[in-house]
Formats: sequence, C-alpha cells, structure tokens
Amino acid sequence: MTQRPLLEIKGIAKSFGGVVAVADCTMSIHEGTVVGLIGPNGAGKSSVIDLVSGFERPDRGSVIFDGVELIGKRPDQISRLGLIRTFQTPREWRDMSVIDNVRVGRSELEREGVWRSLVSAGRHHDLERRETEEVRALMTHYRLDEVRNHRAVGLSGGQKRLLEFARIAAAKPRLTILDEPMGGVNPVLGERIGEAIRELKRAGSTVVVVEHNLPFIEKTCDEVVVMDLGTVIAQGPFSELRDNKRVVDAYLGNDDE
Amino acid sequence: MLQYWTAILTEATIFGILALGIDMIWGWAGDFDLSAYAYFALGVYMTMVLTIGKPTSPVEYILGYRLPYLFAVAIAVVVVVCFASIIGAIALRSLREVYFSITTLGAVWAIYYLVENFTPLFNGYNGVYGLFDPMGGGLSYAAYHYFFFAGCLLVLFAVYLVVQRLSRSPFGRMVRAVRDDERAASVYGRNVFWAKYRTYLFGAGLAGLSGGLFAAYIGAFNPLDWKPTEIFVLYAAILVGGRGNPRGVIAGSFIVYVGFVEMTRYIPSPAARPELGPALRQILIGLLIILMLKFRPSGIFPERLGTDGTEPKRSFRTLFRRPTRDSDPDPLMDEDSISETVPQ
Repeated sequence: MTQRPLLEIKGIAKSFGGVVAVADCTMSIHEGTVVGLIGPNGAGKSSVIDLVSGFERPDRGSVIFDGVELIGKRPDQISRLGLIRTFQTPREWRDMSVIDNVRVGRSELEREGVWRSLVSAGRHHDLERRETEEVRALMTHYRLDEVRNHRAVGLSGGQKRLLEFARIAAAKPRLTILDEPMGGVNPVLGERIGEAIRELKRAGSTVVVVEHNLPFIEKTCDEVVVMDLGTVIAQGPFSELRDNKRVVDAYLGNDDE
Repeated sequence: MLQYWTAILTEATIFGILALGIDMIWGWAGDFDLSAYAYFALGVYMTMVLTIGKPTSPVEYILGYRLPYLFAVAIAVVVVVCFASIIGAIALRSLREVYFSITTLGAVWAIYYLVENFTPLFNGYNGVYGLFDPMGGGLSYAAYHYFFFAGCLLVLFAVYLVVQRLSRSPFGRMVRAVRDDERAASVYGRNVFWAKYRTYLFGAGLAGLSGGLFAAYIGAFNPLDWKPTEIFVLYAAILVGGRGNPRGVIAGSFIVYVGFVEMTRYIPSPAARPELGPALRQILIGLLIILMLKFRPSGIFPERLGTDGTEPKRSFRTLFRRPTRDSDPDPLMDEDSISETVPQ
C-alpha cells in the first residue's frame, strides 16, 4: 500500500521494573482495514494498546496517528483525535441508564461546559430530540431496546459487550482498538460481534482486534499482526501466516496447550 | 413557638444548600470530600469580617469592613472557591477514594487548628461576632426572622433550579460517567481531572454561599460551631434523601435537621449526666446512616436515570417500594443467546 498508514508504531518499548513487556514493537495499520493482533499470553498485546491509547508511557519509540505524535498525550486527548479502545472486560458506566451510556459515547463535548449546560440548555431541544432518535436507532440495532431505560449494571455480560459496540458506533471513531471482544462470549453472540466489527468498518472506522479466538480472527480480519515476547514477529494475511515457522512455533503450534 | 420553628427551618434550609454542594462532589463526581465544612466556615467568617466593621481590642480579626451584606457574601463565595481550587488541585490530581478523603480530612483539620490558634485571623477560639442586619434595619425582631427565612428559602429554590438543570445537562451526564468509570470516560475523550475539579469548585462555592447565609443567621461564630466531624450529619442527610438527586438531598436535609438534630434536643438528660442527650443524638444519627445503607442505600428519592422519556411514570407508591438494585436479576436478560462474561 502506498498511502500513509493511519497508525504507525515505531520501535516502542516498555519495561515494568525488570519485566520487559514490550521490547521493540513496530507496526503500521492502514486506513479502512480490520487488523487482528494475536500472540500468546504475555506477548505484550495489551501493553501495546495501553501505550498507544495513552494509559502508559513508553520508555522509547513513537506512535504516529494520522500524522500526529501520540506519545506524551493524555488518553482523553488521544481519544478526541478519533481513537477509541475497549478493555478486556466491558466497562459500562454502571449507575447510568443504558441510553445515557450511549449518549455520553456520542460525543457531547462541545455542550458539556458548566456555563453552556446552564444557560443554553433549553436551546438544544431540537438537537436533543434528533440525538435521542439516533441513539434509539442504535439501541434497536444492538438489541438493547427493551433495556434502554435500565441501569447499565443490570445488563448481562453479553449485553454489556453489545452496549460497548453501540457506544463506539455512537462515537464514530476513525480507529477502534478492541481488546478481546470475544472474551466469555458464546458462539451466537460471537456471530453478532463479528458483524458489529464489519459494520464499524463499513461506517468508516479502521479496526484493530486483539483476540485469542483464531477462527474468529481468520473470518473477521483482513490482516494479522503476530506478537511474541514483546515484539512483532510477523504481519500479513492470515493464510500466509499459517505457514510461517516463527508464528507456528510461537503461537499456532501451541494452540492446543 | 412559631419563632422557634422558623429558626429551625431556616437552619435546615441553609444546610440544604450546603448538602446540595456536598452532593455534587460526592453524589455526582464520586469524591467523598471531608473538607466541605471548612468551606462553609470560611464562608461564615469572610461574610462576618466583611460586614461587622473594625475589631475593638482585645478582639482581633482580618479586614473588618462594613460592606453591604449581599456584596460581602459574593466576595466570601469567591474567596472560598479560590481556596478550594488549591485544596482541590492537590487532592484531585491523582488521589481517589479513601486517599482523597484522607487528604481533604487533613486539610480541614489543618484549617481548623490554624483558625483556632492563630488569633489575628478570626480571633481564635473566641470567634467572631457582631450584629448586622441583612435587611438594612426597619423590621421588627420577629418580622426580620420571617423575612430572613423566606430569603433563605428563595436562595435554596434558586440553587435547586440551577443544580437540577446542571444535573440533567450534558455536564451532569459527563460527570457521572467519570464517577462510574474514569478509564472509560477518558477513552471517550473526557478529561477526568477537569471534570472532577469543576464539580468540586461548584460544590465548594455552594458551601461558601450557605456559610454566607449562616453568618447572618447565627451572628457569632467560633470554632466550637464547626467541628469538622459535623459533616457526617450532612452525609446522613444526603443518604436519607437520595445521593445524586437534588430533590432528595433537600428532603433529606429537612428530615435530618428537623427530625433528628432538633427533635433529639427533647431527649431528657438526667441532671447528673447532661452530656447524655447530645451523645444520644450522635448515636441516633449513626444508627440512621447504618439503617439507610442497609435497607434503602439509594435513599428515599434515588438518583434519576436519564431516559428517553418513554418509561412508565413513577407513581407515588414506588417511593415506598424498595428500588431494584444491582443484585436483582434483569427480567429482560436474554439467556439463550447471550452468556455471562468471564473476567479475564
């Protein structure tokens, strides 16, 4: 590909005390693709996500998102550039209603000032009604319609996963990083999540998926990055990696452990 | 008797404003702040030293102006907010939960002992006193108290309207998202510190405002009037009324101040043990907190969920029903297609 990658990770490294989590990681993610990030436990996948999204600061290296250096920025600043990540367990805003979870996801940043909230609250009635309609459409789409006015903490694990996708869809990010979206999910819901990822792509978001479920990765992703011991050991279409000896040794060969 | 009740209700009204401020910090932003009483006290002291004029020896305090009452209250609120901006910046930068509480507790005691021992500030433990009339004179003693009560009610109502509007605005939603999960809020572009800090300053400002009103109500103020531990009475009020629900917080303030703090004054103390009555009051308030947490943790008026307006209207009877809480299974959970998530 000749176009500039949307996300460029160049030689980042991170150690926690004596433990090297990420040794020297370099990879490029191109716009409009769904990329799987795989590797055995402890390979450094989640650490890379933390470094990219600003929750940890790398010891060295750089991360360029659409021409902007992300290192040194706070997570909220990175998010406002159009990058949204998830965590291994769903992190809903528990004591808010399901519909408010999605409303906050659908960025209201420009209207969140104390003064604007106080003075011009009444002027946004039309806007709020339109937004509520949009949010309700998302609720229906992610099968959360019946629980939309309930407290988010009461949702089942699977519904929380779907809420996460509804929130991301509302936020319309340019890059979505999903950390194990299939964790604890049954096959039927797994299908729905695969579909949700394809929908994100159709809506214009580039997606990075960290996952252990290889059939899911094969079905969902255009490209796969394999990590082991804190570095990237291979990158390419899933079918090519099947025969890569390093990958087989590091990960696929131990698939049945 | 009427005057007695007016005095008690005035007090409950003033503490209602303070409780609304504390509820913003704790109920909305989730920070269990223990220094709010210092902001309240600073509001009282500042209003007094700005209105009662020069001190006469041996009394000493700073400033000693004779400004119009409302102007003095406005300055007091500004001073309190400036002061809270320092404590808030230290406590909220990276401390959360119990560490935040400990820091604010340290702050309030430091201020308490400073005020008590450094007499040039607010006359030490003898305190500040002086007569001033917010209504500018011309009213009889009784009429003045009724008017002052009406004024306090008006301020409480105005504060309620502002707080209620904020509570349901995008700002209120954002602050609650930060409360429920900071990491998720920052992933969706919210600056966690800034959200909590603004809420903290707003709450401190309300504490200062209630102090300004209390100054006119009490007319004399010394460290015995504001033991920092008294804040737990306000937390009891918030718990009883409903954390995060402005209407509930006001109801809780009236219930606790009228029902508990004042009613328990009638508990007879044997002549030999005059401390029994006040001690029983503390015990009763402690018991109230425990019982509320056990049987109705979200209060009489639980925090309102943001909805799309299509939910069935709450009837009066639901007030007396135990609200469904976290542990209750959701009848709409679709067990066939959705499994439980196992945390990794």
